[in-house]
Amino acid sequence: MALIHGQDTLPKLFRHVVRERGDAVAMREKHLGIWRAITWREYGARARAVGSGLVVLGLRPRDVVSIIAENGPEWLYTDLGTMSVAGVTNGIYTTDSPRQVEYIVNDSGSRFFFAENEEQLDKILEVRGRCPQLVKIVVYDMDGLHAFRDDQVLSFEALRELGAQWDREHPGAFDALVETPRPEDLAILVYTSGTTGPPKGAMLSHRNILFQLGYADFLAEPRPGDQQLSFLPLSHVAERTFSVFYPLRTGATVNFAESIDTVPENIREVAPAVFFAVPRIWEKFYSGVAVRMREATRVGRLAYRWAIGIGTRMAEARIAGRRPSAGLWALSRLADLLVLDNVKRSLGLHRARGAATGAAPIAPDLIKWYMALGIDMREVYGQTENCGLATAMPADRIRLGTVGIARAGTEVRLSPAGEILLRGPHVFLGYYKNPAKTAETVVDGWLHTGDVGTLDADGFLTITDRMKDIIITAGGKNVTPSEIENQLKFSPYIADAVVIGDQRKFLSCLVMIDHETVAQFAQERNVPFTNFASLCRAREVQELIGDEIERVNKQLARVETIKTFRLIEQILTPEDEELTPTMKLKRSFVNRKYKDVIDGMYAERSER
Amino acid sequence: MADTLLEVSNIETYYGPIMAIRGVSFTVPRGAIVTILGANGAGKTTILRTVSGVMDPQKGTVAFDGRPIHGLDPDKVARRGLAHVPEGREVFPLLTVRENLRMGADARRDAAGIAADLEAVYEYFPVLRARAEQRAGSLSGGEQQMLAISRALMARPTMMLLDEPSLGLAPRLVKEIFEIIGRINRERGVTVLLVEQNANMALHVAHYGYVLEVGRIVMEDTCERLLEKEDIKEFYLGVKDASIRGTRRWKRKKTWR
Repeated sequence: MALIHGQDTLPKLFRHVVRERGDAVAMREKHLGIWRAITWREYGARARAVGSGLVVLGLRPRDVVSIIAENGPEWLYTDLGTMSVAGVTNGIYTTDSPRQVEYIVNDSGSRFFFAENEEQLDKILEVRGRCPQLVKIVVYDMDGLHAFRDDQVLSFEALRELGAQWDREHPGAFDALVETPRPEDLAILVYTSGTTGPPKGAMLSHRNILFQLGYADFLAEPRPGDQQLSFLPLSHVAERTFSVFYPLRTGATVNFAESIDTVPENIREVAPAVFFAVPRIWEKFYSGVAVRMREATRVGRLAYRWAIGIGTRMAEARIAGRRPSAGLWALSRLADLLVLDNVKRSLGLHRARGAATGAAPIAPDLIKWYMALGIDMREVYGQTENCGLATAMPADRIRLGTVGIARAGTEVRLSPAGEILLRGPHVFLGYYKNPAKTAETVVDGWLHTGDVGTLDADGFLTITDRMKDIIITAGGKNVTPSEIENQLKFSPYIADAVVIGDQRKFLSCLVMIDHETVAQFAQERNVPFTNFASLCRAREVQELIGDEIERVNKQLARVETIKTFRLIEQILTPEDEELTPTMKLKRSFVNRKYKDVIDGMYAERSER
Repeated sequence: MADTLLEVSNIETYYGPIMAIRGVSFTVPRGAIVTILGANGAGKTTILRTVSGVMDPQKGTVAFDGRPIHGLDPDKVARRGLAHVPEGREVFPLLTVRENLRMGADARRDAAGIAADLEAVYEYFPVLRARAEQRAGSLSGGEQQMLAISRALMARPTMMLLDEPSLGLAPRLVKEIFEIIGRINRERGVTVLLVEQNANMALHVAHYGYVLEVGRIVMEDTCERLLEKEDIKEFYLGVKDASIRGTRRWKRKKTWR
């Protein structure tokens, strides 16, 4: 039985740490440009008021409460407030359309809905006529809504007042509710993005989450005063675990980024002790440094090359499990002092004792680059259905290209077809109201991940690809597209790519360029362009991407080389169906949407 | 594109260390009205200053009538037939309206032609005839704007660069000035590059448009098509689809499609 600070459910754990930590800072958010602290005591009181308010509105145990909001304190008050009164929380991506919101609200049977602001409120108002189970809508930010009156809608403030009053009038009632959920009960729903078919609500129990909290120190031993930055969507299991649940155990302060655009500045201000990000973010940071170095003075470039060379040798020694020679160690201190520390400071990672990447594949060279900087970056693997983390790179045995070994207390094995199977206390309860899908996914306690991989003799897992993504060319060769795509994304000019070639004679790919770096490139080379499409069509840009693809081709087997490509000539945002909320291209959707472009590539090649 | 009069290719312009124009390219066909839209600080004025020679680009080229003009002094550029009407009018306040107009024709020696053009200008802006002997400083804002445009016309330019002619004017006056800009273009064949925040007006008078954001062009198309684009409607014309509640304050993300 997993106990964290002696507690066996999230509400009890939360109540316990609020009492223990009192006036220590739990989180910070920026208000009019200044970071404002919220203590654990305030966190506890506000969450309690929200939970009590929901009881007044008629929340019953196991009722689902949906939240559609950017990361912020209100999200957390609602999350822990709901669970404290035995409700179930469910996060919805802020980029979801009204239609998607309707689907999730109905599938989850949500009775309460929290909307960040006017924009998110409009989505639910548009579809609420088709959401019969919905009781009340609560709005965090009432800006622009003062004249708006609706019986089904109330402000967050009004809800908290209702709750506080009820709490005063019913002493002991709240605490009794905190005791209600059992460890094996449903705590949260997390909808999986659903690249195939509609999204499914993964049910995670208190036990699932507490089991993961037992591992919250795997990146670095927590220290008082540790900071974290929260900026990935809280509706994603990884960010939820990292920013909401981990601090319950570690006591780290969570700082909310102002927006996704200000992450680079915010991370410098916060200087986090531990940092989790998806590969897209790590790639962006790297691109930023790569471009800056290209523009640096000759001396600057030489210094960087020298320092990163020494850092790489240090990283290689660590990977090989060797102790670096005294000379190399001394040089590395110097390289850090003169160069690398500055690079880390410019990224805001100079205080990071641990960093993790996950939720998507990453190029091993990129991890090595961060290790060369002196950042202890480790790859993790997992999915929503196992509450986020299944395997992680152990600190003392690094094998790049693998996602490490199974987290202690869990098992990993491969099915005869090579599918990765997981078993342990982290495996979820099933899909909400979908026993058929659940039965397909969890068989005899083994979670079928849908990923294909290999296991080495020491238990290190390598992910090959999503099972359904594997390309079988017309010639019958099996190709794993994500491996090639990761190599491509390592280029500072390529934001994302989708390799195509299932049942085709050869491989091709669609490329989403990195707008900023490619525009910079065009500007430096005097390449005239006006809008995004004309930038994509510029001969020099086509050649640039062609060269980047050629560079990757050299590392691939002959059957796997990319013979032709096209650029996606539109700026995509997470609102577009082509992208997941974490800015990954959705393979199946891209294949459908750009069918004409893709067919064009193949028609053109075969004519030649 | 038919006959290109102005061709700007990949210019970069700095204010000290700040790069205000980050690789901008566009063309203006002979006889057309082309507009550059953009918010405050997008770099619109800087583009006009770079074209007219008030500022020199660090990089890139500006060709007028087939010949490079970047790096030339503003008066040389003006003599080639490119008249710049800067933002905020900048008329000579102590000179009379007539004297201001004569200043515009300073480089010309054809007295008869000047007299004819003066007449034409009074024809476009009758109020200037009425105020001919008044000091320019005593004119209203709208009248000063008319004077500034007229003064530029007196040089018989091939092309005019207009910087925010609608700035600070009453809506009725704005409409009038834009109508006359259209007429000047049609009747006298003057090519116009128009920089504006009043997107609605600019898109209705111009033929082709570019949208500038933080020093880069993000969109280009014929004005007819620009008027139909979602981003233009929402961010430049202030048109929003009403939400379910009837009003909507939030904005979509820009995608420039």
